[in-house]
Amino acid sequence: MKRSLRSTFGAAALAAVLLTGCSQSMSPGHGGMASPASTSATPAASLRTALNTLFAEHVYLAAAATGAALGGREAEFKAAAGALDANSVAIARAIGSVYGKDAEAAFLPLWRRHIGFVVDYTVGAASSDRGKQDKAVGELVAYTQDFGAFLSAANPNLPKSVVADLVKHHVVTLKEVIDAQAAKDPARAWAATRTAAGHMQQIADPLAEAIVKQFPDRYRG
Amino acid sequence: MRRWAVGGVALAQLVALAWGSWLLAGPSDVEVKVFQLRPGRLDVKVGRSVTWVNQDDIDHTVTSGTPASPGGTFDATLAGKGSTTTVTFATRGVYPYFCSRHQAMRGEIRAQ
Repeated sequence: MKRSLRSTFGAAALAAVLLTGCSQSMSPGHGGMASPASTSATPAASLRTALNTLFAEHVYLAAAATGAALGGREAEFKAAAGALDANSVAIARAIGSVYGKDAEAAFLPLWRRHIGFVVDYTVGAASSDRGKQDKAVGELVAYTQDFGAFLSAANPNLPKSVVADLVKHHVVTLKEVIDAQAAKDPARAWAATRTAAGHMQQIADPLAEAIVKQFPDRYRG
Repeated sequence: MRRWAVGGVALAQLVALAWGSWLLAGPSDVEVKVFQLRPGRLDVKVGRSVTWVNQDDIDHTVTSGTPASPGGTFDATLAGKGSTTTVTFATRGVYPYFCSRHQAMRGEIRAQ
């Protein structure tokens, strides 16, 4: 009998844990990939490396969380969701290290918001609720405009439409992961996870380059 | 010497003009930029108007109350970059507000 996510531990619990993290959340800078401490030779290279690491980690942890959720593995799901939220905090701190604490505080809820929509999509996939999935996809696509607006406001070297398109591709590649997980097709799921993680370089690299262009004295090299 | 005096008067007038315009417009304006409200909290005299200016290339709202409890006193959309909205605070009080599209964006106007 097919176990649904909803019947396993409930959509509300799923959303709550993914959105807020759990007590096992890692603190950025205390081990794991979340620490962007880099030994790259220049500040510019360090920035690029840190952003690539954090964004790729985002995909792997999101895939781990959705895979565990769809597989009904509650403890694993909670741990992955906690690590995913720690990654969100680390990404926000990276943004804050460039644009300040206020920007960090504004970025974190915006970033977490798209994870909430991914949760909605996953719940829809688990319960074969096409309407819920379509609604989540629509919200994710709309979200790409918000994300693009945030980064283009922070950095004039990042056109809103370009950022939005890149994030839209992130949404599409992550959706493929979840669809494969829901279809119980691990080979397709892991291949899609690699594709989704690899795509994040197309977000991290332009972001790093735009920041270096904006603050050439701070990010030499 | 006279030049100095004239210059001094002109400088004083310029300072007075700048100070006057700051009093009229500066402290009553809230800039909405990079999904932040600047300043987040603003004290104004009762009867004064506050103008919000959207610097983000996305819609925001200026909605009274909190996400859990919208106030209904004012609810305006800042439709894209460069859009503005103005609210007059005729009654003493503390007016929390937020953006209904991005609910982490919250501010407060204190009319006294």
